[in-house]
Amino acid sequence: MSFIPKVGLIACSGEECTGGNVSRMAALKVLHKLKPHDTITICLPLFLAGDSGERGFAEVFPTITIDGCGKLCAARSTAKYSSEPAVKINVEDYMGPRCRGKEEQWRVNDGSAIVDKIAEDVAKHVEELRDALRDN
Amino acid sequence: MNKRLIALTDRRKLIVPCSGIGKTVGEVTREATRILIEELRPGVFDTVCLARIMMDEEEDTRELIRTSNVITIDGCPERCATTSVKFAGGTPVLEVLTVKVLAKNRTHRPKSILDIGEGGRQLARDVAEVVIENGGA
Repeated sequence: MSFIPKVGLIACSGEECTGGNVSRMAALKVLHKLKPHDTITICLPLFLAGDSGERGFAEVFPTITIDGCGKLCAARSTAKYSSEPAVKINVEDYMGPRCRGKEEQWRVNDGSAIVDKIAEDVAKHVEELRDALRDN
Repeated sequence: MNKRLIALTDRRKLIVPCSGIGKTVGEVTREATRILIEELRPGVFDTVCLARIMMDEEEDTRELIRTSNVITIDGCPERCATTSVKFAGGTPVLEVLTVKVLAKNRTHRPKSILDIGEGGRQLARDVAEVVIENGGA
């Protein structure tokens, strides 16, 4: 039986706006509900602080970054300190530049439609990446 | 009050939680931040994205960190929020470690990262109160 690595999910989890919260909830939904056996999460704060385990995984294995806004902190940091992410998701592509609106900043949960949609898309990317790795 | 003290008092107050995604205490830091900003001291505190502190190429976030009274709330002893603030040239005026607060009352234990439960919400409130009690606002 061949080894097929799990896919690393890296959410920005940004505190300043709704998009960061959405990125976090979507990553957690994939990790715990949609693809619990095929994914791991990389803790971005730990990754940024220089943890060799987190950076080492992202250097060798495929990652999907989920960013809350166009600054793309998760994607840029992954590329800078490890390897280019296999897939880059920007929450703004789904819901527009919501960083300006603070009304939902803390209120998004894993039952929201936008979280569901992004989580489903990430799960599809996970399947595609794992299939490609299986074929190789 | 001397000029330096007035300057420090007038500075913006920023809460920087670690928001770690791998442990339940990371989620608790977010809830503690929400409680401080929305419930306990509305209009007093603000927050900033941790990743932006590290990845800000225009330096405006780092300037904000250097010129604000920053309070870090870390979940675990890795202290990623504090490390990031210091990396950006800031010096936290207060560093709160959630697992230390938990050690003082182990009944306030978070349930899971998807739902920290009543224990986790209590712990978040404990953390927020530590900030207030130690002169955070």
